[in-house]
Amino acid sequence: MRSIYVVGIVVLSGLSLLFAVGIIYGEATDQWFLGGGFVGALLIAYSFIVLLLRQVGLIGPRKTER
Amino acid sequence: MSTVATGQASGRYARLMTSLLRGTLRLDVLVNKLYPTDFNPLYYTGGLSNLFLFTLVLSGIFLFFYYDASLGESFASVQYLTDRVPYGGIVRGVHRYAADGFIVGILLHLLRNWFTDRHLFARDNPWISGMFLLLFAGFIGFTGYQLVWDERAQLLTSMFVAMLRSIPAAGAALTRLFIGGVGISDGTLVRILFLHIGPATALYVFLWWHYVRQRHPKIWPPGVWVLFCVGLVFLLAGAVPVTRETIPAATPAASPTRFPMDVFFLIPFWLLNFLPAGVVVLLLVALFVGGLAIPYASRRETPVEMGVRHSGVAQVIDGNCTGCELCYYDCPYNAIVMVPSPGPGLSKAAANRSLLAVVIESRCVECGICIGACPFEALELPKFLERDVLRQVGEAVQA
Amino acid sequence: MTQTLKVVGFICDWSVDLAPLSDGGRLREVPGVRVIRVPCSGFVRPNWLEDALNRGADGVFVTGCPYGDCLNREGNFLMRDRIDQLRRRLQRRKVDPARIGMLAFGLHDGASFLAEVKAFVDRIAALPPAPPARAAGRAAVTQPAQASEGERP
Ligand code: SF4
Ligand code: SF4
Repeated sequence: MRSIYVVGIVVLSGLSLLFAVGIIYGEATDQWFLGGGFVGALLIAYSFIVLLLRQVGLIGPRKTER
Repeated sequence: MSTVATGQASGRYARLMTSLLRGTLRLDVLVNKLYPTDFNPLYYTGGLSNLFLFTLVLSGIFLFFYYDASLGESFASVQYLTDRVPYGGIVRGVHRYAADGFIVGILLHLLRNWFTDRHLFARDNPWISGMFLLLFAGFIGFTGYQLVWDERAQLLTSMFVAMLRSIPAAGAALTRLFIGGVGISDGTLVRILFLHIGPATALYVFLWWHYVRQRHPKIWPPGVWVLFCVGLVFLLAGAVPVTRETIPAATPAASPTRFPMDVFFLIPFWLLNFLPAGVVVLLLVALFVGGLAIPYASRRETPVEMGVRHSGVAQVIDGNCTGCELCYYDCPYNAIVMVPSPGPGLSKAAANRSLLAVVIESRCVECGICIGACPFEALELPKFLERDVLRQVGEAVQA
Repeated sequence: MTQTLKVVGFICDWSVDLAPLSDGGRLREVPGVRVIRVPCSGFVRPNWLEDALNRGADGVFVTGCPYGDCLNREGNFLMRDRIDQLRRRLQRRKVDPARIGMLAFGLHDGASFLAEVKAFVDRIAALPPAPPARAAGRAAVTQPAQASEGERP
C-alpha cells in the first residue's frame, strides 16, 4: 500500500514539474489563460501530494486537531 | 442519537429528517475512506466558504482598480482588463468561479447543519445569521453580473426593475432608488458598484454575528483543500475562460431576449420565464422567511419528543466553584461567563475564589462539556447527575 | 482471558449506534465491556475514569464522534486532550496508559468500532494484571455539607 502511495507522489511530482514548465511556457508566449490554467493544475497536483503524504504518515494532522 | 434513529421519531417530517441525518453521516463514512477525518471537506464546509470569500475579496480588489463605472466605459474597461492586462482574464475568471464555489460551499454548509440538527434550540444564532449571509451573497452575485454591462446585464437590470415594480406600494420608490433616477444612467452603474461592494463588506459583519456564540470557530479549511479549491478556481479560469461567452456590449437600442444562464445566481431570473414578476418576488420572500423559521417551526418540538437525551441546562454548584475558568474556556458555545464572586465558596478549594462561573441558560445546549472540564465537581447536568454516572460505573464494575 | 476482564466504556449518544451491538449495557461481541451512554464524549470527567480504574476496572475508554464532527463542535477534541493529561497523571502512579483509551467513531462505524474495542481489550489482556481494587476510591458524591446547611437552627 505504502509503495503505491510513494509511486503516486513521484508521479504527481513529475506532473507538477510539467505544469510548472507549462506556466513558464504560457508566460513566455503571452498566453495568459494557458499560464493561469497551469497555476491551477499545479495547485491541484500539490493538494493530492499533500493528501498522499498524509496517507503515508509523513505529515500529521495539525497539532490542535491531531 | 441512536435513540432518535431507532424509531422514536414520529410523523413524516421527523422520519424524513432522521433518514437525511443518517444519509449525511453515511456519506461521511465514504468520504473518510478517501480523506482522513482531519482532511474531510464535509467537516469544513464553513471554512471552505470562507476561503472562497477571501479569494473573492482579493481578486475583487484587483478588478476594482480597472473598473470604470459609467454606461459608456464599463464594458470597454472590462474588455481591456480581460484582454490587455497581464492575467486580467484569469483574475476575472477566478472572481467568477470563486463566487460559484462560495454559493456551493454555503449551500453544503446549510444542508449539512440542517440535516445533522445543528441549528436547533440554543444554536439558532448561526442559522439566522447564515440566512442573512446567503441572502446577501446571492444579491452580491446578481449585482456582479450587472457590472459588466453587456446585454445580459441590461436584460437582468430590466428584469430586476420589473420585479421591484411588482412590489405593491413601495415598488416605484424602490426602483428610483435602485437605478438612481427615472432612467438608467451613469449613476445607475455607480449605485450597482456600491451595491456590489457595500454588501460584500457587510458579509464580514454578518460573519462576526455568525461566530459570536462559538468558541474557536473553524474558519479555515485544511491545507489540502485550500490548495485544491484555489487550484480548481484557477484551472477553471484558464480552461473555461470567461470570454467564452461572447455577449455584446449593452446599447440603448438593443433589446436582448436571451442570455447564457448561470445556475447559481440567476435562478430567480430563469423563473421569470414562467411566472409573473410579482410571484417570483413573493417566492423569494417566502423562501427567506421560511429559512428563518426553520429552527423554530421545523424542530420536532422538545428534545423529549425528538427522542434525544434531555439533560437540562448545566447548573453551577455555587459552593464548590473555585473560579478556575476551565469551564469558561471549554464551553464551545460561550454559554459560561465568569462574574466577580459575591462571596467565598463553601468547599476548601473555593474559599479564596475571586470569580464565579455563571451559565447563561439561553445559550446552553445541554452538552455537558463543561461537566468534564470542571475538576472541582462544581457543575452538574440536572437530569444526569454525577451521582447517576458513578452509580452506573459501580454497577458496571461489580457486575 | 478476555472474558474475565472488566472494561468500562463511556459512549456518546451521537456516536456509534449501539442498538445492534449491545444489550443490557454490554457489548454482545465483547461481553467484558460495559457501556455507559453519555450525552457527549466531553461530558466525561477524567475523575470518573480514574474512579472506575480504582474500583477494579481493567480498562476504561471513551468513544466520541469522528474528530471534526462532534455534534457539540469540540467535545471529542477536548476529551482527547483530557485523556492525554489523565494518562500522564496516572503514569506517575504506575497505571499503564494502555488502560485508558479514546476512540472516535461515527453512527455507521459499528464494525470498525468493535474491531478497535477488541484490539483495546487484547492490549489490556497482554498487560500484567492490575493491582487489586482499592477500596472504593471515594464517596459517590463529594459535596460539602449539603442541604443540612440551611436546616440547622
Ligand atoms: S452544557 Fe456546559 S459546555 Fe455545554 S453549552 Fe451548556 S454551559 Fe456550555
Ligand atoms: S470549572 Fe468548575 S470550579 Fe472552575 S470556574 Fe468552572 S464551575 Fe467553577
